[in-house]
Amino acid sequence: MTLNEQEIRKIAEEAVRQLGKDATEEKIEQVVREAAERVAREEPGAVSRQTTPINQTHNRIIITAFGRNRIGILAGLTAILAEHQCDILDLSQKILQEFFTIMLLVDISNCNMSFEEIKQEVVRRGEDLDLKVIVQHEDIFNAMHRI
Amino acid sequence: MPISLEEILETIRMTEVEHFDIRTVTMGISLLDCRSDDLQRLKTNIYDKVTRIAAEHVKMARKVESAYGISIANKRLAVTPLAIAAEGFYKEDYIEIARVLDKAADELGIDYLGGFSALVQKGFTPGDRQLIQAIPEALASTEHICSSVNVASTKAGMNMEAIRMMGEIVKETARATADRDAIGCAKLVVFANVPEDNPFIAGAFHGVSEPDVVVNVGISGPGVVLRAVREAEEDLDFSALADRIRAMAFKITRAGIFIGHEVARLQNVPFGIVDISLAPTPLQGDSVADILKAMGLEDVGATGTTAALALLNDSVKRGGLMASSHVGGLSGAFIPVSEDAGMIEAVKKGHISIEKLEAMTSVCSVGLDMVAIPGKTPAEVIAGMIADEAAIGITNNKTTAVRAIPVPGKDVGDSVDYGGLLGEAPIMPVSQLSNNIFIRRGGRFPAPTRGANN
Repeated sequence: MTLNEQEIRKIAEEAVRQLGKDATEEKIEQVVREAAERVAREEPGAVSRQTTPINQTHNRIIITAFGRNRIGILAGLTAILAEHQCDILDLSQKILQEFFTIMLLVDISNCNMSFEEIKQEVVRRGEDLDLKVIVQHEDIFNAMHRI
Repeated sequence: MPISLEEILETIRMTEVEHFDIRTVTMGISLLDCRSDDLQRLKTNIYDKVTRIAAEHVKMARKVESAYGISIANKRLAVTPLAIAAEGFYKEDYIEIARVLDKAADELGIDYLGGFSALVQKGFTPGDRQLIQAIPEALASTEHICSSVNVASTKAGMNMEAIRMMGEIVKETARATADRDAIGCAKLVVFANVPEDNPFIAGAFHGVSEPDVVVNVGISGPGVVLRAVREAEEDLDFSALADRIRAMAFKITRAGIFIGHEVARLQNVPFGIVDISLAPTPLQGDSVADILKAMGLEDVGATGTTAALALLNDSVKRGGLMASSHVGGLSGAFIPVSEDAGMIEAVKKGHISIEKLEAMTSVCSVGLDMVAIPGKTPAEVIAGMIADEAAIGITNNKTTAVRAIPVPGKDVGDSVDYGGLLGEAPIMPVSQLSNNIFIRRGGRFPAPTRGANN
């Protein structure tokens, strides 16, 4: 935040004047945004951007699945990951009575889908297999369980 | 060291079973550069700035929720106390400004917006008086706006005229929202030693020493602490019990700060503080009262309750302070009656009284919080409640507050249900003895000697 309200208003007013009858809401916003970004670049110290102290590994996700054990659940989940170029880095599983828990650590750097899309796909496949599936970025676990 | 299956399952149990969530991600916005002596201009400036700065707040918070699988219960805004940002206007003008802010909050998808506030611990400016008079109608005619007034501090003492006035304002707010069981009072809190970076509603505002924009985060998580205490054997001593609470507080604070940093980073805004208050909800198992009971009390209100709360509060702070260098806001356990299923039960059974809640204030943050009282309670009695709480605050150098709801037409034995996070409030008896002469003395109640600490 390097420009104050009055300056932004002045830029907007100037933009409206210069654009004349071409002034649409989108155009004005674009001009003001560009001006603000230029100012921010010229004064690098002015933008108070804090770096996050917590380790960022944005391309690793953890998939946890719960449900009754039956043939093909692990195959079903991993097939969809392979289909979208997701790399399984680690896998653990546990059976408590008939209840099955699967944990997959997955690298999605080369995935051909966004996080949201692959999350939806995996959750949907889980539903077909009667599994409750939770997909989360790995960072949250590092934040909570590591000093 | 890779994350183990047990650690993953613990996190998932916390979020899926024990209601662990981030209570609020609150964006603070300074309105100091919106000033103008023209009301129309001022309203436009405020509306433009708030909607521009917070345009992505809700969207980014949702993105972070989805990415990390931890829900953020509320996305809120806090602005510079309006009595400061819009000094020099009149009662009707402040009501109009409140409506403008309400419109902005509505369009942004914000749950609540705090900052219809004045800081009058030492005295009033003309704007302070006008704003305070505007509170009842501002709250009655808006959906999202919350109001707070700071009437006392350890350095300044207590502004007794403000305290008397706030007794009346609470009554008037109840009258103005009588058709909705005085819900306006749930959005009005009277403080002593108010923090300037509190992300929790209704007391949130963006202090004048804050940067232009900031994101603060408030954690929740009584459910996970409850489990840690419930799992403790009956003969586990207090050191060991405190250790368990501390370890749990560390984890939830780390989750909170992580989520807060992410929401701030995505909007290119600095991160401010994490408020480590343990905030309950009316959901079963998300209760602070239940934690105190799990320590070995038959119910809250039993002798030992204050000590149990002190242990809980201190242990949460130890874990939280280890987890983050920037702990701020209120950062003490909340004991709001209507928002805590265990508290509601205890009130209904007659196990806990306003007097005991007042005593508990001395070891937590907000004392008489979401306390419904008979509608016939005179303004002076409410002012007396505020004065008592403020006295505890300034003498012990801590934040205290009152959020009392004198529900019109209701008396002890009745109950009001606000639904959602505000919960259900059984009407509690409060001493109706007269304090008129005391409250009407006015003037400045001297600051305690501990305020002179330099």
